[in-house]
Amino acid sequence: MSVPQQDLNRDIKLLIIEALGLEDISSQDIDDDQPLFGEGLGLDSVDALELGLAIQKKYGIKIDADAKDTRNHFTSVTSLAAFVTAKQAA
Amino acid sequence: MKWLNLEQLLYPLQTLRPVALDPALDHAALCTQALQLAAGLEQRGVRRLAVYLEDAALLAVTLLGAWRAGVQVLLPADLQPHTRLRWQNEVDLWISEHSQDHQLEGLYEAPLAAADLDLDSCCLSLCTSGSSGEPKRIDKTLRQLANEVVALEQQWGAELGDACIISSVAAQHIYGLLFRILWPLCAGRPFLRRQLPFPEDLQCASRQHPSFAWVASPALLKRMGENLDWPALRRVRRVFSSGGELPASAAQTLQQHLQQWPTEILGSSETGGIAWRQGENLWQPFANVRLSQSAEGALRIDSPYLPEGHIEQSADAVEFMADGRFRLLGRLDRIVKLEEKRIALPLLENALLEHPWVADTRLALIQTNRASLGALLVLTAAGLHALRNQGRRAITEGLRTHLHQHCEALALPRRWRLLHQLPFNSQGKLPQAEVEALLLAPRGTGPEILSQAQQGNELHLQLAVSVDLACFSGHFPQTPVLPGVVQIDWAISLGQALLDGPRHFAGMEVVKFQRVVRPGDLLTLNLRFDRERGKLYFSYSNDGEPCSSGRIVLEADGE
Repeated sequence: MSVPQQDLNRDIKLLIIEALGLEDISSQDIDDDQPLFGEGLGLDSVDALELGLAIQKKYGIKIDADAKDTRNHFTSVTSLAAFVTAKQAA
Repeated sequence: MKWLNLEQLLYPLQTLRPVALDPALDHAALCTQALQLAAGLEQRGVRRLAVYLEDAALLAVTLLGAWRAGVQVLLPADLQPHTRLRWQNEVDLWISEHSQDHQLEGLYEAPLAAADLDLDSCCLSLCTSGSSGEPKRIDKTLRQLANEVVALEQQWGAELGDACIISSVAAQHIYGLLFRILWPLCAGRPFLRRQLPFPEDLQCASRQHPSFAWVASPALLKRMGENLDWPALRRVRRVFSSGGELPASAAQTLQQHLQQWPTEILGSSETGGIAWRQGENLWQPFANVRLSQSAEGALRIDSPYLPEGHIEQSADAVEFMADGRFRLLGRLDRIVKLEEKRIALPLLENALLEHPWVADTRLALIQTNRASLGALLVLTAAGLHALRNQGRRAITEGLRTHLHQHCEALALPRRWRLLHQLPFNSQGKLPQAEVEALLLAPRGTGPEILSQAQQGNELHLQLAVSVDLACFSGHFPQTPVLPGVVQIDWAISLGQALLDGPRHFAGMEVVKFQRVVRPGDLLTLNLRFDRERGKLYFSYSNDGEPCSSGRIVLEADGE
């Protein structure tokens, strides 16, 4: 994985921790491919809403409200990073 | 559209009548499936059934089938192991989409004949968390539910018309069950099978229907974001919100985007709907609901949605207007009496929140020589600026003056504690006892240590300077700065970790104060102890800029 990618993944982990106010957890505790919702990190749909707002604000991107299944991008840190990269390139 | 009473939903009509969409389910098919399930439950001798289904159409089939077979239905709030354990002795069979439970189709047998459902013998149990946290079971007859859907249709049926019901809430709870399933079923309005928790899904579904209404929750409505196709969504016939309080700012934002106010429903699992409001502060009781007050001023509810003859006493304090509408004043434990005067703390808190200096606040009664109010206060950036440039007294006097427009002088807080944030517990609650304890404690004198790392004879600390240190009041009243002597005090006490044994203060060398430290500052403190010389080196900096530094001479005790 390239350095900018690693940085983006770490930044997204920090954003998750901060936006959702996760206590006693650091970026090292979240694996890139770990499921964020349901079992994995145990986040719920309200967390997904909060995270959606935080991601859009931090990266100046918009979640396409017309596309189907946009929340699939929220599965893991890897998928979120890919989503942010694609949106920023667009 | 033809209204069908809840007890007559099992008779198929001659005409097509949509029940659910994606995939579509017609009313005739719903009747067949429900009657097949009724036969299956009867053959198995099931008397008590637990159901957890995310598909609202399947839940409708299950409810009607179970009621036809005279089976009691329990709707657990989730399928967690603890929940299953809690109810297992009260349930013969579980139906869910989970592989360990029965699936609906597996229970179908040759259908029973259609029949009226008995309004008084058919039962449904809802689960809610009791005040102790232990799940609580609330039993309802079909009659209670039937009374409520009839009232909802009389209230809003005409304007909803044939709107498709799109929802973000689960149907296992009273609000979703009534608004998403039972009411549309009786009215002949189609509903979506799945709960849509995200704004983009809500938008996508809404665009597919010429007319639609939303059954939503504050959790979604306050997080809709900006980039939705609001002009298209403006066709929404009505936006319902229930389950918790919708912040006024969120209601306002929705009104701007949709050009209609959301309709908020006040109710509970026990009582069903109590009242509603749309863009107003005051609540309008539902037509058949009779409200009154206890001697303490708390709302009492007499309603056809409650068990016959039962009057529900709530712990919510209210104030009635002449026209029967009412204002919620908060939980009863948030109403205090000061010198025979009843004071609603939430009202004063809301008034304080209107002030640009106040980010958050919580009030409590302090019992000293005489009872008075105290306030925990979290300042906004503007408030912190005012504190730094005008002093604490300007803040507290300014806020007292502001509050005086809303209440008598006796209710003005006399004691204030400025905090970085309010100490909510893990359930998001701030118990009144905790507020009282914080108000009774003296103002702090030490720093808040955010992090610290020791390397050999050095210690590196990140410190937060509380906005409310006791020393600020005198130093200086209008421009509080952290006194040099306090900085040295902190250095000595934090430096104890580096010392080799008990030592005492014996002087200072080359102490420089270069930049003032103010309330709310974040500081880095570097400490180094030179054992041979008996000197503690300290340097404070703020964002890389030095604030103060020097050497503190510490002699070993006995020297």
